Amino acid sequence: MAAGGTGGSNKTYSFKVVLLGEGCVGKTSLVLRYCENKFNDKHITTLQASFLTKKLNIAGKRVNLAIWDTAGQERFHALGPIYYRDSNGAILVYDITDEDSFQKVKNWVKELRKMLGNEICLCIVGNKIDLEKERHVSVEEAEGYAESVGAKHYHTSAKLNKGIEELFLDLCKRMMETAQAEERAKGNGASQTATSRRGVQIVDDEPQAATAAGGCCASG
Amino acid sequence: MSQRTERRGIHVDQSELLCKKGCGYYGNAAWQGLCSKCWREEYQRARQKQIQEDWALAEKLQREEEAAYASSHGSHPQAQAHSQPSLAPFSKFEEKKTNEKTRKVTTVKKFFSPSSRTTPKKETHESKTPSPSIARQSSIETDRVSREFVDFLKNLQKPGREIHKQSRAFIESMANKKDLSAEELSECVQDFYQNMSDRLMTHFKGSSERVERVMDQVEKYIMTRLYKSVFCPETTDDEKKDLATQHRIRALHWVTIQMLCVPVDEEIPEVSDSVVKAITDIIEMDSKRVPRDKLACITSCSKHIFNAIKVTKNEPASADDFLPTLIYIVLKANPPRLQSNIQYITRFCNPSRLMTGEDGYYFTNLCCAVAFIEKLDAQSLNLSPEDFERYMSGQASPRRQDEPDSWPQTGSSVNPALSQVYHNLDLLVGLNQRQEKVLEGARSLQTELTEWQESVTREVQEILERYPLDIRPHASAIDSENVENDRLPPPLQPQVFAG
Repeated sequence: MAAGGTGGSNKTYSFKVVLLGEGCVGKTSLVLRYCENKFNDKHITTLQASFLTKKLNIAGKRVNLAIWDTAGQERFHALGPIYYRDSNGAILVYDITDEDSFQKVKNWVKELRKMLGNEICLCIVGNKIDLEKERHVSVEEAEGYAESVGAKHYHTSAKLNKGIEELFLDLCKRMMETAQAEERAKGNGASQTATSRRGVQIVDDEPQAATAAGGCCASG
Repeated sequence: MSQRTERRGIHVDQSELLCKKGCGYYGNAAWQGLCSKCWREEYQRARQKQIQEDWALAEKLQREEEAAYASSHGSHPQAQAHSQPSLAPFSKFEEKKTNEKTRKVTTVKKFFSPSSRTTPKKETHESKTPSPSIARQSSIETDRVSREFVDFLKNLQKPGREIHKQSRAFIESMANKKDLSAEELSECVQDFYQNMSDRLMTHFKGSSERVERVMDQVEKYIMTRLYKSVFCPETTDDEKKDLATQHRIRALHWVTIQMLCVPVDEEIPEVSDSVVKAITDIIEMDSKRVPRDKLACITSCSKHIFNAIKVTKNEPASADDFLPTLIYIVLKANPPRLQSNIQYITRFCNPSRLMTGEDGYYFTNLCCAVAFIEKLDAQSLNLSPEDFERYMSGQASPRRQDEPDSWPQTGSSVNPALSQVYHNLDLLVGLNQRQEKVLEGARSLQTELTEWQESVTREVQEILERYPLDIRPHASAIDSENVENDRLPPPLQPQVFAG
């Protein structure tokens, strides 16, 4: 939901970005590097790394970024839809030395596209490029897959602080474009907020039911 | 008292017109020369006495409650104006109206709630209904919130008046919509929030911070008023879900920290302290009325969880750590009316807060935790289906399975409360032994003392026997002890004179 003032020039964008990825792919290190510029540091001031915010200024527009970490364990996989509801962007992290973690990313992409359609900006991130020698996911395969699902692919290393700024900046720009396009399409922001405001709810049954409802609304 | 009235009849002057208590207001003959306020106090006292004499205890209690009810909804505007001297005339007027409104609402509510003052007995078998004291508490709170709202809006002047008018009109309109489903009620409230914030946005020229501040107050005011009618309404199955969740959590009492892979070590005192605080906070959520306050409880609970993880792992908690711990806390706490609270927040919270903010994130995690607990199965705890079934049916306990012989011992897998109990029991046993030792010492001291006393007596006796008290008999003559007797001239002998 791109909420914010209706005043033209000093508009503030608020974006929700979910962070998805298996247990040990380095999601937490990635955000801590981005928000605190620290890696495995004993002096990290924040109490937690599961909800972080960052204020940005992009092309004269203020952007408030809220980064939602999600539990990556397999047993919590079914809870995904509760997390990524109403998010503007998703960062899907895998470990380039771990083929399984890339398969997980593929599953998430499918789910996200099914639930949220094309409104969500997807970033597929191969983390730990400092371990290039032990790479198990080929660059071609990963980039080819990302292109096929309309996502962007990035290579990062939280340890060496490589590619992380670019990743978030790119994502923000894309989300702003999406939000602006949406605004133009709808004429004004009011109706949009009205439809999306009832977002956070418990999914009682399987996500398929929610998908069906979403499809129905979109066609009607 | 009758004397006083007689005297009144005889001479009436200015001083007699004033209240007998000297409070400065005029008295009234009908109130035995007291003003309304003093008369009320006096009358209350007299009545109290009468009750003590004549009425049974139950009836007395009911009367007290009646009195409190009357005073909290009391119709003496004087007193109110005194308590709020700073209010502008407008606000005073508004407040009176508000009070009338409150009264109306409560009377309407009395129809619906089975715990009206006349039927206190029903409470025993109707556990859901609030007790009279809670009802009184809530009406006091409602008044307080209304006053705060008026105070807050005073700073906004004209728009404040407008906001108040609209909010009141909205609450009134909601009173007529009791038959609507919860979703429709939610729709109404959300539409109201939307309209109000749109208007405020135009008024404050896009300063979303100020709009949010006003909206927070509006939410507080409206939801405090509407709470009773829209929390866990009868039109929904929220209550059924609450019970189901509660039973479910109770059935899962055997789930351990290890099964959930919770990265928290409760052996560390600071960690177990944080865990207890987190549990307290999540339970406290049910006692709040405003959705935002409920969210604040969840946030506070989450902060304690983060602290516990940080102390244990010495690094900031990620969602991978946080969610399992939150699930563990929810299982431990079994918060009352969990589903109702979640539904209430979802339906009536100001959406801007729920969507993007930190509070929203923690709330989402709570929803996840509840969803996980509902669907929890053998696989999600890394157990075999057979084990899971046996634990669920209570045929086996995972603890006994692991260490059948050493069950009542303070192992790491034992519930911390249990180990605390064992520790305390050990302490008590030690204390008992020490007490016995002290008692024994006291007893031996006592015998020693007795012996000493006896020995002293014996010694004294012996000495007495050895040196018997020799009392020589006294000489009966007066001069017996006179040593110089013989130096005295012999006594005179009687001589016979012939004559």
